[in-house]
Amino acid sequence: MIKKSFSILILILCIGLIMTGCPKKTVIKEEPSTKKSEEVAREAARIEAERAKEAKEAKEKELARIKEEEAKKAQEKKEFEQSLVARKTPGIEGEVFETKLLKDIHFDFDKYDILQGDAEILKGNAALLVKFPNVKIQIEGHCDERGTVEYNLALGERRANSVRNYMISLGISGNRISIISYGKERPMDPAHNEDAWAKNRRAHSVIVSK
Amino acid sequence: MLKKLVLIVITLFLTFTSSAEARVYLDINAPTLIQIPIVLSKWKNVGKTSATLSEKVYEILVNDLTLSGFFRVIDYQHLPLDLQRKEGIPEVLFLKEWMPAGGEILLAGEAFLDSEGLNLRLKFYLFDLVEQKQMVAKEYKEPLQSLRAMVHRISDEVLLQLTGERGVHNTKIAYVSLQSGNKEILTTDFDGANIKQITNNQSINLSPAWSPDGKKIAFTSYLKRNPDLYLTDREGKNPIRFSYYPGLNASPSWSPDGKQIALMMGIEGKSDIFLIDANGGNPRKLTKGHGNEASPKWSPDGKQIAFISDRSGSPQVYVMATDGSDVRRLTYEGSYNTNPSWSPKGDRIAFCGRVGGRFNIFTIGIDGSGLQRLTSNSGDNESPFWSPDGRYIAFSSTRLGGSKIYIMHTHGLNQRPLTQSKGGESSPAWSPRFE
Repeated sequence: MIKKSFSILILILCIGLIMTGCPKKTVIKEEPSTKKSEEVAREAARIEAERAKEAKEAKEKELARIKEEEAKKAQEKKEFEQSLVARKTPGIEGEVFETKLLKDIHFDFDKYDILQGDAEILKGNAALLVKFPNVKIQIEGHCDERGTVEYNLALGERRANSVRNYMISLGISGNRISIISYGKERPMDPAHNEDAWAKNRRAHSVIVSK
Repeated sequence: MLKKLVLIVITLFLTFTSSAEARVYLDINAPTLIQIPIVLSKWKNVGKTSATLSEKVYEILVNDLTLSGFFRVIDYQHLPLDLQRKEGIPEVLFLKEWMPAGGEILLAGEAFLDSEGLNLRLKFYLFDLVEQKQMVAKEYKEPLQSLRAMVHRISDEVLLQLTGERGVHNTKIAYVSLQSGNKEILTTDFDGANIKQITNNQSINLSPAWSPDGKKIAFTSYLKRNPDLYLTDREGKNPIRFSYYPGLNASPSWSPDGKQIALMMGIEGKSDIFLIDANGGNPRKLTKGHGNEASPKWSPDGKQIAFISDRSGSPQVYVMATDGSDVRRLTYEGSYNTNPSWSPKGDRIAFCGRVGGRFNIFTIGIDGSGLQRLTSNSGDNESPFWSPDGRYIAFSSTRLGGSKIYIMHTHGLNQRPLTQSKGGESSPAWSPRFE
């Protein structure tokens, strides 16, 4: 609409210029135009001013929003960083970080498929990775003590990969997620009963890079 | 009983008259174990040999022959007084004197330590007390520090003479021990003596496997935060990491020629059976499909690989050619069969199966026939591993609480713990013979 008004204004000015034959710009401006063109100009200026005001307000609003968001992000980042607990394991190179913000999921005996309820947990974990795009994680696949060392290594590998594949399906880049199978070598609960076994059949995520 | 045994021996003598090799005192393939009563007379000290030295020789010998399971050892201390005092090697002419000892065989010997105290000479004779004749006379001479190995050689020779097959007294068993708080690889001699720590890295160390020449041990370790394969000499020196693809590099098994290793690998997102060259290069995937594949074990003839797959829904033992073709399922009974191990002849496979929630050791013919259960009512029994002579199976058992390595005859008889430890032992791997 504004564009159209401008075009009209320019057209009128040009016609005036041709009709008077005067080459001086000032003359053009000072030349009393028709009542109609004045009104158009005033209207255009008003619109312009309004537009500028609106833009300014929007910009301020946006800035405030960004500021708020940044504050929120900073707060989240702070919370995230505060949640990190460095973990070093003797005999295993390097350091990883545990965080309660990345949650474990659990598996049935001799199974590696993700249970219905646990998909939500993994969505939460994925959301954290979206928020912190520099973070890389390692998913540990664990098993209960029943069965052989080797078969449990295979099962742990599969459990960790189930989780990794699901995270990738949620849009997380595969190169941010490594896996490791600990088989039955790192039980969470060393007891020899159903309760302990249920706790030990898990996929646990640790942060390998912040 | 004794009379009956004597009769059997005499019958055997009559059947196989002159040839020493053909004379088999004990059929090791018999379904029940008959123990030959063997008399061990007191050893004689010659030269600088001290009483403690010859006693040591005697002690190891008694232990070896007892552990073999083929003998009822009659110790000289349990003989009539006049025989207790007789040392060294008797004359064939006077063998009659030994009849009251109650044995069919007499093992007698003397130990000679040279004047510098460096070299030991062990001379031993084996006599047939039923036939009143000499069976074998041999002499070993080696540095004193090889004493144990020398005595084990005598035991092996006794087994060869009486069963037609050498013993495995000069072998070792590698295994995993949790005694230090984490899983380290250890080795011990067949008799549980001479325990050596192969790894000492505080990491998780799993699945030791001897190279076919017995000079190296491959195993999995988490040292670099990934289950990688390492190789060390049998003293645990000079470990090198040689297979470290992302994901699993686990459960190594050497080809009989030592040129390749079958293993579990996770490169493709799940555990599959792969082959690699002995230097870790050139991985080739053998298994297809969606199952979890585990525990490859190369057959003694080098043509097949036994492994575990849960492609049918539960882990079962399968066999395939070394190029991944000709896959066939071997076990159908039970819903959880793992840990295959080939007999040295290649005719049977031992495995661990779950029955009623407990794990037990079974063997099965390579054609799927002749399933035998070897353990029962004794906790969980896992990880069977055949001895190089095919007469024993090492395995882990929780029968007394903690998991310990046990050895039994392949018919399930004579089960005994390998070491004196309190527990925390698993994954035994029997070495080839060291000679």
